[in-house]
Amino acid sequence: MSESNFSNPIVTIEQLPTISKLEQQPLSAKYAPINRVINLSLILIVCFIASFIYLQPFVDLPAGLQNFLPFFTWAVALLGALFTWFIYAGDRVKSYSLRDLDLHYSSGLFFRKVVSQPITRIQHMELKRGPIDRKIGIAKLQVFSAGGEMHTFEIPGLPLEIAQQIRQFILQHKDVVKHG
Amino acid sequence: MDSRNKLSSIENTAPTDNPHNLNNWQVLSPIAILYFGVSVFKHLFSNIIFLIPAIAVSYKSILEHPFIWLPGILFALALLSVFAFISFKVYRYRLTDDNIEIRSGIFNKKHLNLPFSRVQNVKIEQPIYYRFSGHACLKLDTAGSAKNEAKLIAIKLDYAQQLKSQIQQHGQNSEALNKQQHPTADSNEFQSESAPNNATQEIVLNRRKLSDLVIHGITSNRIWIFLGGLAPFYDRIFNYIGEGLTSLGINLTELFSLQSHSILEVALYALSFTMLIMLLLVSFSVIGAIISFYGYTLNKLADKYIRRSGLFTKHEVSMSLSRLQMVVQKQDWLDVLLKRINLYFEQSSSFGKNLDSSASSSKIIVPSIKPQESQALIDDAYPENSLKVLVINNEFEAISKRFIFRNIVYIFMPVWLIGLSFTLLNGKLTLALLASILFVTLCGLVVLRWKRWGIARDKNFVYLRKGLVGVDYYCFPIYKLQQIQFKQNLLMKRRLLATVKFVLASGSLKIPMINEKLAYELIDQGLYQVESSQKSWM
Repeated sequence: MSESNFSNPIVTIEQLPTISKLEQQPLSAKYAPINRVINLSLILIVCFIASFIYLQPFVDLPAGLQNFLPFFTWAVALLGALFTWFIYAGDRVKSYSLRDLDLHYSSGLFFRKVVSQPITRIQHMELKRGPIDRKIGIAKLQVFSAGGEMHTFEIPGLPLEIAQQIRQFILQHKDVVKHG
Repeated sequence: MDSRNKLSSIENTAPTDNPHNLNNWQVLSPIAILYFGVSVFKHLFSNIIFLIPAIAVSYKSILEHPFIWLPGILFALALLSVFAFISFKVYRYRLTDDNIEIRSGIFNKKHLNLPFSRVQNVKIEQPIYYRFSGHACLKLDTAGSAKNEAKLIAIKLDYAQQLKSQIQQHGQNSEALNKQQHPTADSNEFQSESAPNNATQEIVLNRRKLSDLVIHGITSNRIWIFLGGLAPFYDRIFNYIGEGLTSLGINLTELFSLQSHSILEVALYALSFTMLIMLLLVSFSVIGAIISFYGYTLNKLADKYIRRSGLFTKHEVSMSLSRLQMVVQKQDWLDVLLKRINLYFEQSSSFGKNLDSSASSSKIIVPSIKPQESQALIDDAYPENSLKVLVINNEFEAISKRFIFRNIVYIFMPVWLIGLSFTLLNGKLTLALLASILFVTLCGLVVLRWKRWGIARDKNFVYLRKGLVGVDYYCFPIYKLQQIQFKQNLLMKRRLLATVKFVLASGSLKIPMINEKLAYELIDQGLYQVESSQKSWM
């Protein structure tokens, strides 16, 4: 985190900081590629299972299924490749931004979305790391407010030490300490 | 005074070994057995509903073998009463000055420990079978999940009231600690709070007469849910009615046959028949409204709203003003015609996970009030709001006309065109005509929907208007926001439009396709107010 993240002066309504000019921080450089690898391997596994069933000599399949399987495999492969590319492109534009008093997360290729979470409304936080996340040292930060589970603020693919720094920053934040 | 009251009520509720020691575990009054029995029965019954079709199909064969079902039912009842009795036997509660503990459960032992300062919401419920013995059930909600609810199942009503005010006082005391640094201002401003006897200080804000409830029953469309539930039995019901009418000498097929009657006659019969059924269904809805809201009063005590209602089970819900997240003023099309309004005071949705608008939910609804009454209540809750002025001068900012274009061209038009080409290719002209009529109607509805959308704001509040034929107004203080979302797709970006979603503790609100600049202003102002006000959302 650079020093500039921590300056968020609020003077008057006219001089309000605006979210249209956020300083966007990228996610971990490993996040988008690893997601692509995971998606591609999932598709490969599905295709592999389908081809195995099609080619195996042990059991006689119903004729309908036998005719359907090649089509299914190709469809999964093509659509899968397309979606993986979309997700990859989408992952690359995800970014977050931390100001003195709020957190922001931007995402979406065609459907842009910016979620703004004031730190003073945070109830609790979770740092989530799956096995692959642990292997490559990234983490997912989840922030819960009283807005309900549907509106959990979530930043995926943060480098571990930055995720921990943000967590510490929020925990020691004066608004959270006061209202906690 | 306080402690003496407590002791006497303990002697009423339960004979304890040492009534002078408040820290002893106490048992409930035996009337609680009835409560446990009924709640188990209710629980079972809600599951039995899924079995009803099976029972309905085979009920004749079941009826023919009374030696099977009679002992079965008796056994079930015996089991139920044993279960209720044991539940009663294992239930213990203990009260200290700032804490309540409850031990309960037969197989799953539960030990609940709830400090009074964590209590969000106190409800008093009086089922009809408690009314003769003067008992009540006290429910304490926490900010956590609905499962963390503590229930004191059978205590004397006056003791419940006293406990309630004690718990709420406790919450207030901890909140008002910093206020007490200015005792002079405090005593001037909060005179009603400092008065020792709270019961006499309640101000009645609103009452609902029986006629209002009848209107509420007619306008609230709960009947369609009822109809949906009955759908599997339509055939059977109609057969049954038909048989019944035949036995009375009325033959439906003959009545509606065009051979023996003129078209006008048949039409009149059909009309009166539908009217009769509608009347029946509406009366069900009215009965439902009366059961939920009979004897409705909305009172105010210091900064607390208290709602009491119920014909059989009396509910009492209280909510402190600081917990209020949003005021919603809803008008269905029928409400618009009758000039009535349903007003909702919404609090955090985790308190009332159940989404029903009946008497048991913890949101406060004021059913079918007149517009000026509604405005008076809103002004009482939010004195600085300018909803009335905004509505009169129509100062709501409309959303973009692209909303109409998008919905019609991208959503309804393709479906209509596909349907049209299919029906025309197959030569089904009437179907094509029907599809076109439907399409035009939907387009009309989209325009109406667009017309209803609107947003306005002032220094402290955001106001949202939406609806279709009816019109709903939402009003919330900006500092209550939990999170704000800005949404924009590439097409909207080209036209400088955006969608904003406001997330509050009571739920989320969306305003689609407003000016991008306005969207940014709303978000920036929202964040500014949340972060600078330092006011708690609770």
